[in-house]
Amino acid sequence: MKKQIDTVQKKQSLGAYIRKDMYMYILLLPALLFVLVFNYLPLAGIAIAFKDYDVLKGFAGSPWVGLENFKSIFTIPGFRTAIINTFIYSSVTIFGQFIFPILLAILINEVRSKWFKKTVQTISYLPHFLSWISVIGFAYSIFALAGPYNSIMAKIYAMFGKGYEAKNIFMESKNFLSILFFSGLWKTIGWSSVIYLAAICGVDQSLYEAADIDGCGRIKKIWHITLPAIRTTAIIILIMNIGQLVTVNFEQVYGFQNPYIEDATNTIGTIAFRKGIKGGQYSLATALGAFQGLVSLILVFTANWISKKIADIGIW
Amino acid sequence: MKKTRGDRIFDTIVIVLLLILCVLCLYPFLNQVAISFNEGMDSAKGGITIFPRKFTTENYKELLFNKGYGYGRAFMITVSRAFLNMVISNIVMFAAAYALTRKRLKGRKAFTTFFVIPMYLQAGVIPIYILYRYLGLIDNFWVYVLPFSFAFYSMVIIRSFIQEIPPSLEESALIDGANEITVLFKIILPLSLPVLATVSLWILVGQWNDWTSTLYYITDKKLYPLQYLMMQIIKEGDQQRQVAVLEAQGADASTKTTTEAVKAAMIVSTSLPIIMVYPFLQKYFVKGVTLGAVKE
Repeated sequence: MKKQIDTVQKKQSLGAYIRKDMYMYILLLPALLFVLVFNYLPLAGIAIAFKDYDVLKGFAGSPWVGLENFKSIFTIPGFRTAIINTFIYSSVTIFGQFIFPILLAILINEVRSKWFKKTVQTISYLPHFLSWISVIGFAYSIFALAGPYNSIMAKIYAMFGKGYEAKNIFMESKNFLSILFFSGLWKTIGWSSVIYLAAICGVDQSLYEAADIDGCGRIKKIWHITLPAIRTTAIIILIMNIGQLVTVNFEQVYGFQNPYIEDATNTIGTIAFRKGIKGGQYSLATALGAFQGLVSLILVFTANWISKKIADIGIW
Repeated sequence: MKKTRGDRIFDTIVIVLLLILCVLCLYPFLNQVAISFNEGMDSAKGGITIFPRKFTTENYKELLFNKGYGYGRAFMITVSRAFLNMVISNIVMFAAAYALTRKRLKGRKAFTTFFVIPMYLQAGVIPIYILYRYLGLIDNFWVYVLPFSFAFYSMVIIRSFIQEIPPSLEESALIDGANEITVLFKIILPLSLPVLATVSLWILVGQWNDWTSTLYYITDKKLYPLQYLMMQIIKEGDQQRQVAVLEAQGADASTKTTTEAVKAAMIVSTSLPIIMVYPFLQKYFVKGVTLGAVKE
């Protein structure tokens, strides 16, 4: 069949051949244009990190300033805090969002009843499909002064015979890390476990049976069979996450910030947004973004390299 | 095998932990549903769990019909951007995916590489913002649609689907004298409807939940989508809006709603469409996740 078509095509004139392919190129054209305009053109815009960009002078008219903008990044008030916050917030959230989905996948895998398994999965996926704004709305309500959190705390304090004063946890910057950690975990735990469950599904069931015969308990089977089965997946996910060490989820941080704690909880992302789009310091904010992008690229390459050396697993 | 006592304890611990997780996932939503159907003044006293104490639909009426909130307009914006994005994306991505399955197409590899690179190299918010200014997309409805028209990952999903259509179907049509465009519309398109439906659902959920586009590129209140409206109502307690809301209430100030109760109605009404459809969608989404490494 294949050969027949090939010969048919060879017999056609060159013009017909091109015309036929022309259609294919025309079909590709819109996609190529969209990617060119919305993905490649902005890359050229990174050049303004090396310019003193002035809206009135335009892109071409603004003078080049070399690395000036990168130097002045370090003089932004609150930049040090933002860098430290970014690292702390991201490392803690990455760690939590790496470990707990694996634990959940293992727990779900240990359930024998099919419908219970399915129900738990479906319910735990729910937060993933909601927007960060809804999640923030839930959090504000749960932790409101008259909300469930404060009333439970009051009851617990009362049990020990102590007085409790209802407080708004969002007003204190020291709570911000826990807020990010737990809200992030709540939103992602179920959905992130999907990929591990898929890996566990691939395990040869006879391994478990053999382990049964050898008299292995449940914990031992998890340790020796289930965990090794998800090792590769876990390492790949970890490498990809390490690239995120310099970026904290903007929607989440910006969403949970309020004027009382803004200065103390800024991250590189929120500073870039406030300086750039809100403040009009385009060159500075672009330099900040470029700096962040570069560091995360380096981090991913390094993590990949180390993992290849140690475990022979990599994304490239 | 016989269950040992250790086994039974183990099973119980697993089930209890998973039940706790389920409660934690569901409770916040159910709590908001209860508050949204409860009289605002009563909710302010606290203690609402998952059932309303003094049932009312006043909060929803206030949210939907008080012009100060602008709910109707925001709803229309959300629906139209989602619909337009779905239509445009499907056409653009399906066309590209089909062209890339043609084995004799010259430059296939190069095109794919061209599409892949942006996954690793991103310009950041500001260069994009400046570009949009040049393109006139700032404060323009189309900023919600055009930049989302092509998603590499979805295109790859469509492409792998088309590749799995038996080639014999196509070949026999070609032998019968049909050209490739006819094959595209008469054979490939009808067979690809399931994958296009899947991708459309991804687009709809993404569009429904997006609010950062508005934060970055829109200042015109008339262009606010539901999520952004919700962000403002929840986060900022927007002064101007409160004035507008009070004005619209006018002399009829006997209303029993509070900002908190209307917030709850907002959260519930905005999340509800997603909550109602996601159990049916999840298997498609799971398929997308577990397809794993992008097949070249």
